[in-house]
Amino acid sequence: MATYGLIALFETAPEIYHAAEAVRDAGYKRWDCITPMPVHGLDGAMGLRRSIVPRISIAGGITGFCTGMSMIFYMNGFDYRLVVGGKPFFSPLYAFPVSYELTILFTAFATIGGMFFLNGLTKLYHPVLKHKDIGRGMDDRFFIVIEARDPRFDAINTRALLENIGGRDITELED
Amino acid sequence: MSNPAAPASAPASPPATPGGTGTALRIGIAGIAATAVGGWISGAHIVATSWLVGISFWTAIAIGMLLLVLIHHIFDAMWSTVIRRQFEHALAAFKWLALLFLPLLLVTWFGHRDTIWPWMNPGHLMLPKGVTVGQDMVYAKKSGFLNLRALSIATAAFFAVWVWLSARLRKASFTQDSDGDRKWTLQSRVTAGFGLPLVALTLTFAAVYWIKSLEYHWFSTMYGVWYFANCMRGAYSFGVLIMVWLLNRGDYRGIIHEDTWHSIGKMMLAFTVFWGYISFSQYFLIWNADVPEETFWYNLREYGDWKWVGMVLVFGHFLLPFLALLSYRYKVTPRIIRRIALWILGVIFIDLCWNILPAVKDGVGNPLPFFSLGLLWAVTSAVGIGGICIWAYLRSFTTTKLIPIRDPRIGECLTHHE
Repeated sequence: MATYGLIALFETAPEIYHAAEAVRDAGYKRWDCITPMPVHGLDGAMGLRRSIVPRISIAGGITGFCTGMSMIFYMNGFDYRLVVGGKPFFSPLYAFPVSYELTILFTAFATIGGMFFLNGLTKLYHPVLKHKDIGRGMDDRFFIVIEARDPRFDAINTRALLENIGGRDITELED
Repeated sequence: MSNPAAPASAPASPPATPGGTGTALRIGIAGIAATAVGGWISGAHIVATSWLVGISFWTAIAIGMLLLVLIHHIFDAMWSTVIRRQFEHALAAFKWLALLFLPLLLVTWFGHRDTIWPWMNPGHLMLPKGVTVGQDMVYAKKSGFLNLRALSIATAAFFAVWVWLSARLRKASFTQDSDGDRKWTLQSRVTAGFGLPLVALTLTFAAVYWIKSLEYHWFSTMYGVWYFANCMRGAYSFGVLIMVWLLNRGDYRGIIHEDTWHSIGKMMLAFTVFWGYISFSQYFLIWNADVPEETFWYNLREYGDWKWVGMVLVFGHFLLPFLALLSYRYKVTPRIIRRIALWILGVIFIDLCWNILPAVKDGVGNPLPFFSLGLLWAVTSAVGIGGICIWAYLRSFTTTKLIPIRDPRIGECLTHHE
């Protein structure tokens, strides 16, 4: 069986916070923290950048706006011209309510879709679930998992790093 | 429950006296003097209308800040606790705003009745139809609401409500600094409970009486909300300027965080969208219905260079701030959010010009151009009234501690999400 990575247990939030800083400074990229509650500032300690979901959102928004405008332009200004209330065949004004509704709709789709695409949820299986104490990661313990596919991963050195930063109960996870 | 002690880094003494207090007063008096000189150059009608721009601009910001303090209390909010104190200081401007509004009432009572609002004078000729206000059926139907006594009493009532609510909130917050009693927080929550509907109604009626009635034939149910949107955007933007000022001075170092900037920036974005929404709705409904009783108001504002002012509002008051405020980095970088705030304050001023100044007509009933002396006097009015408002704020600023140090929420606020 291939190795998925190494998992280490930490007792308190400050411990995992400083441990995360050490793993970040050691240059690891493919690793994660498992905590029972949000630890404020942990994203910074892990060296995480802001998510790119907002960019996907704005792409969705612009698509929605253009869809609304061009749809109404095509239908009322080109395909089936009809005088309504003495208005021009096409005006961005009356296309605006529809366009901005579609902006909101497409932004929402892009945000939700982009979020699920990036975080890979929903997962029915994950290698850390094999760890005997993983349930406590949702209760009162903290874990750091470093994946074997990280280019800096090395079964001996990575284990030594986790030991140095105070990780206990270091276990090898199978894929 | 005891009050959580504020961290040791929080300043326990009143902040140092800012140097600009005297300067603000001098600028204020200079602006008012320049506007008064304008009275001789352009005549009372133009200058009084421009003064209305200046007074409604600063009153909007003050009302917005009053609303922010009330909203803070009604929601028992956390993040805005530290900057609430600065809004409370700024509320000291209300009594001066009342005083500075007085000339408009005096000139109407004792000068020409139609110096500002045409419907005050039954002999005022309504162009281009050529009937006087007195012969006008539309005025006759509205005269119960639109008359000098009603406007004077209403204006006095507006300012009385605003000054009274401000005094209550300021006293509760400032007294809590010394005795730390939680009853002040609870009292302010009650104040917010009845204060919010009161302020909502007074600001709506103020917008209708002062600004919308300049064209008394016209009607729009969006008008109070439009003024409200500007109140909120002005208050947030001015709040950002105060925050950057206090950060650069060093007072706010360690007190406000990235999350504080993010929070206020998000509210600015929300109200930018809100302004766009209601302004578009007002235009769209009138454009769609296309009845002359309503469209003439927009036709006046498409005459001459006013058309371009309207375009500046569409893109400058909505689209540009909207796009800029979408960015997280812009919202949390003080240097950039300060620029956005200054921009928004500038376009609020232009928005008020666009709503008020076309009431000044030439001989055939067309509005005078945007780039005319009226704009200059609007600027001097805004500078003058602004100087007095900032002077009032700075004078109050030194009288208490920098932050509400014994507020029940201050501990949480100082460690906002950290």
